[in-house]
Amino acid sequence: MRIYGTGILKSMLIAYRNMLRKPITVQYPQEKVELPERARWAVALDYDEEGQHKCTGCLACVRACPDYVLDLQMTTAEDRSKHIDHYRYEIGACMMCGLCVEACPFSAIKMSHDYELARIDPDTLTVDLLTDVPAAVPKRKTPAVEPAKSAAEAPAAEEPVAEAPAAEPTEPAVPEGGADV
Amino acid sequence: MNPWLIAVLRFLAALGLMLLNGVVMIYMLRKVLGRLHIRLGPMDNGPWGMFQTVFDVLKLLTKEDPTPRVADKLLFFLAPVIVFVPSLMAYAVLPFSRTWVIVDLPYGLLFIFAVMSIIPLGILAAGWASNNKWSIIGAMRVVGSQVTYEVPMLLAALPVVMMAQSLSLSDIVAAQSGTFLWILPRWFAWNVPALVLFFIAGLIEAGQTPFDLAEAESELVAGFSTEYASMKFGLLFLAEFSNVFLFSALMVTLFFGGWQIPWVSPELTQPIAPVVFMLKIYLGIFFIMTIRGTLPRLRVDQMLATGWKILLPAALAWVMVTGFIIKFGQMFVGPR
Repeated sequence: MRIYGTGILKSMLIAYRNMLRKPITVQYPQEKVELPERARWAVALDYDEEGQHKCTGCLACVRACPDYVLDLQMTTAEDRSKHIDHYRYEIGACMMCGLCVEACPFSAIKMSHDYELARIDPDTLTVDLLTDVPAAVPKRKTPAVEPAKSAAEAPAAEEPVAEAPAAEPTEPAVPEGGADV
Repeated sequence: MNPWLIAVLRFLAALGLMLLNGVVMIYMLRKVLGRLHIRLGPMDNGPWGMFQTVFDVLKLLTKEDPTPRVADKLLFFLAPVIVFVPSLMAYAVLPFSRTWVIVDLPYGLLFIFAVMSIIPLGILAAGWASNNKWSIIGAMRVVGSQVTYEVPMLLAALPVVMMAQSLSLSDIVAAQSGTFLWILPRWFAWNVPALVLFFIAGLIEAGQTPFDLAEAESELVAGFSTEYASMKFGLLFLAEFSNVFLFSALMVTLFFGGWQIPWVSPELTQPIAPVVFMLKIYLGIFFIMTIRGTLPRLRVDQMLATGWKILLPAALAWVMVTGFIIKFGQMFVGPR
């Protein structure tokens, strides 16, 4: 049987029950909630054990970005070593989708937990991730598979010679990336 | 003592009570709504954010006070006063204890209703003078709701008057002292239909949430106070909160024994009577605020239908029923 007014009473009961619960909000500037481990906020560089950046300048992130907020300019020297002129990131236009991080083959960038992105000066909305540094040379833990190496050496045969001091035998993806620039 | 001095002091006491109530009630509203939403409410500015509304008042006092170019200047200036003054006048007859009444009028209830019925006039003036469509819609809704609540509210208070045999609020409180059936406090709240009718009509009168059509924030910006800023807005806002306080005070006085504690003799209660009265009023305000945080707003036609089709006939019928019960009681049991 439907009795008029019971709905109102029920809603009032729920309201009073809510009043007995502890607040679920925190005093934000003083206390902060702990973010989930995979929370995606501003893109930041990820460094290796020696504190070196890992960006090889392959431009995979730039191509992956749907908003075109990443801007990477580099010059390739005569010995085909690459030099990153600037690697800029437009925080104001980023939607934190994380596609660049997924695209990065060397884990050079990560989605950081830096969520306090408000800026006073609009110029600071562009963040310089890297400026005027040599591109990293990928370090392979395991030696590359032989067939892949021979296949990669066919188009760029003299490359291991050029990279001699680094003594890294394989670098299959980078020459193509460098050729785009 | 000079009677004029006493009159001025009493006026100042009422004014101080009204202003203080406004400050406290705004803080309370924000805290209560916060807890209803499972959040904290204001927390900065003093312990538990207690000085938040004080700072808000200071901000209102120091703000620029613009008048719209197309507004009716005189009415625009007068409207907050027309809203504020009757609300202040109504404090005059509230019995805080047996002796703490500013003026103990023998027809205090009628005085409150008469004075409170001026408020919609001021709101209409505010809406009209603002020359703003939101303002005028809000003002027209207030006028419509006045027609809706006024008659049922008076009729719902009538059973109480019949039971107390007096229009004086002090007499009504005095009639509710003692107990009946050995245990129940002799409150007029046992006349439940009258209480419910009075409560609903009072919610419309105070413009509280199920019927806050006058300044429906989600529809009309701020209703009649859209164009107001600074302390003019402060006065309108204060009057609104004061109306809630008055409505709660009236409900306590008419139905919940006023300043008396049940089962305690009025002589013993006398020293702390104003505190008891304020506590009861604030309990009522708390209830009204939780309703504000819970129930959705009615449409205009729903509110008018509630007033005309339900409240009015029900109040009329209940006046008759109460009259019959009282008469038969007097015939068979004896007076009271």
